[in-house]
Amino acid sequence: MKQASDRETPLGLVSKVLPQSFVDGPGNRAVVFLQGCNLNCLYCHNPYMINPCNHCGDCVSGCPSGALVWEQGKVQWSQDRCIECDACIESCQHNASPQVRQMHAAELWQEIEAIGPFLAGITVSGGEATLQTDFVRSFFSKVKDCSELTTMIQTNGVVTQDLLEMMLPVTDGFMVDLKAFDANDHTRLTGHGNSPVLETIRFLSGRGKLYQVRQVIVPGFNDTAEQVAETASFLHAIDPAIDFRLLRFRPHGANGIAKTWTAPSDDVMIRAEATAKAIGLVHVGRSI
Amino acid sequence: MGKEDTTIYAKFNPYEDLQRGLTPEKLELYRASVLETLQSPSMILRQKRDTLALGAMCTLPYPELSERARSRIEQEVVCLISEGAAPYHPRYVAPDYARLLQEGSEFLELGPAQDLHEATSHLLTAYFYLPSEPVFLGQIDELLEPFIDSVDEQTARNLMRSFWLMADRLNPNGFSHANLGPQETRIGRLLLEVDRELKTLTNLTLRYDPSVTPESFALQAIGNTLEVTKPYFLNHPEMEASWGENYVTASCYNTMRLGGGIYTLVRYNFKEAAAQSDGTIDDFLNRVIPETVADLAEIVNSRIRFLVDEMGWFDASFWVQEGFLHRDRFTAYAGVYGLAEAVNTLMQASGHPDSRYGADQAANALAERIAVRFGEELAKHPGAYCDGKDGQICYHAQVGISSDIDVTPATRIPTGEEPALYEHLAAEAPLHRAIDGGISTVLEFDQTAKENPSAVLDIVHGAHKLGIRALSIGSTNSEFIRVSGWLIRRSDLDRAKDEKALRHSSSYLGAGFFDTKPVHLHRLPRKV
Repeated sequence: MKQASDRETPLGLVSKVLPQSFVDGPGNRAVVFLQGCNLNCLYCHNPYMINPCNHCGDCVSGCPSGALVWEQGKVQWSQDRCIECDACIESCQHNASPQVRQMHAAELWQEIEAIGPFLAGITVSGGEATLQTDFVRSFFSKVKDCSELTTMIQTNGVVTQDLLEMMLPVTDGFMVDLKAFDANDHTRLTGHGNSPVLETIRFLSGRGKLYQVRQVIVPGFNDTAEQVAETASFLHAIDPAIDFRLLRFRPHGANGIAKTWTAPSDDVMIRAEATAKAIGLVHVGRSI
Repeated sequence: MGKEDTTIYAKFNPYEDLQRGLTPEKLELYRASVLETLQSPSMILRQKRDTLALGAMCTLPYPELSERARSRIEQEVVCLISEGAAPYHPRYVAPDYARLLQEGSEFLELGPAQDLHEATSHLLTAYFYLPSEPVFLGQIDELLEPFIDSVDEQTARNLMRSFWLMADRLNPNGFSHANLGPQETRIGRLLLEVDRELKTLTNLTLRYDPSVTPESFALQAIGNTLEVTKPYFLNHPEMEASWGENYVTASCYNTMRLGGGIYTLVRYNFKEAAAQSDGTIDDFLNRVIPETVADLAEIVNSRIRFLVDEMGWFDASFWVQEGFLHRDRFTAYAGVYGLAEAVNTLMQASGHPDSRYGADQAANALAERIAVRFGEELAKHPGAYCDGKDGQICYHAQVGISSDIDVTPATRIPTGEEPALYEHLAAEAPLHRAIDGGISTVLEFDQTAKENPSAVLDIVHGAHKLGIRALSIGSTNSEFIRVSGWLIRRSDLDRAKDEKALRHSSSYLGAGFFDTKPVHLHRLPRKV
């Protein structure tokens, strides 16, 4: 029985809950992936999280376990019957998924509460988490009321400051993906300019809530020493102590054109790290 | 090699006889065994002498047993783990090394240690004279921290490095084990540093208490585990609640009292015990376990009495006379294994063939019931001279030996059948609560974990909160493999295959283990 107060809280569109991650912020974290994104990145690894389901019903017949049914014009997904084969996601032509749950904050917390003792905190990612700020704020408030867990948001930075402001009181930190510093490169990669991203970084740093800036290094977009130096200089001018993490693009798991791209070599990654450090950033790291 | 004689006593030497000892008709088998040892290309002199000594002792009859108790050995419900016929020294000891450093030893002709040079050489000397395999090397930080200011920083580091190197080279036994924590000390940090550099097989346990152990020290230890698969993270508050302050961890992950030890270890095979039942859970819990545990206790006590009453070891040893060991701090182990097979057999026999230990809640609940039931029965049988555990035989989860075929070590979920990380820990945690004489869970993470050691520490915290006592943590592709309880190196496996001599006798056991259970080379790596 849901309490009346729960029914009044905002609903979130939850695509997936990962109970254990060592790569989404400090310590071991549960990661909540929210459905829906405002960018369309060429190398997106989770394109099925971009759009909400339009209930076309095309995926239903391909479900081998009977977890999907089409009722009253809606695709209904049964979590109990789902065998997680992801055939529906692969067949979807709309960058969406029927495996999305509408949840209240209290319901989502109930799922995570039991594993709380193993966690440093919870990261909300996506899709783009800040498209559901009402829900994120409601969920993080619940987390803060019920536990000592830290709360982090992973964002592409395309978000207005009033929405960020709304989440600050219940959010311990943000990880901002800066896909590329050059506006044209950013547009080529994501279909969107990067001025809001740069503003978000500046704003969050000023408010002491910028945990990390991340960049996936992609050959041909942001991997030259000049490009890395420009990015690092931008960050350095804001605060030399900004944590800048360089991630290696991997074609495995990418979709579309990005499948044909190559991962940056060790040399490129090492050079990028050295370049960013040479600019004067104190905390620069890179993935293996 | 007299195969017709070995069927019953498959775990014994072919010339052994429980009741009569070596008989004239088996003399040739004995001689052949001696010759085989002498000619072995893969043993060094010390290992040959140890094997010869054990063999000679096994020409004696075993301490007297009732016919029913003897039948349990024949049924392989009870296993005598190659301790041999006539226990003439304790199996494990945990001497009070602090006393040696403070007061010296008359027998060893050593005065009180004056500085870090003497303290480390006193310890190395003590290890040489130990009255059992060198399974416990001491709480190194507590022992040596008082001496650290006797030398400059660089000398202290050099001394710790050479001490730790010699502790391995002079005690070629992967069952040697040293303890650290819960406090952070300079010696503790140094030891972690040199252990990571030297990559020896000597085991380490960090007695971890998040309210005492600083996070930075814990993270240094996590960094080590991901490189060299040690130290263990031991749930110090939980252990202290069971044993009080003065307990130690030795050998694989065995708990014993400081200044005491373990007379003997007798193994109990849940799998074979389950085979003695009529297939119902009720018969197993309420008939088989009570009957077989009574027999197990008889066997344990016969060996303790032989050691204490007939061998007189405690009357003659300088370790006791000089107060480094105390008879009233000893107990013995009943070491269980094969719980997984017992659970799966009983679930199948009761009509649930798909309910398997690790994967299914009902099976996990049965595992806990069995483990608890065994403990209840064990507590009903006083252990002779077991003052070290309030008169009880100590309940231990035994790591397995290389001759165990198709039977899972201790109370572990079989390798390859482990569920997701949290479920794995939740399934094994109730057994950690039930068994207080040494039990561990083994985890392995992929390489990415090295980039986020605090995440691994979070897992430790969660596991300890559930009641997990000892946690072994490693990472994939490490040179070190945790063989259930002890460590071996991949390079030693290759040497063993080529029949080259190995310095560590434990590595032979590990190599044998992989011959019979190759799946243990491929522990489930946890993606992070």
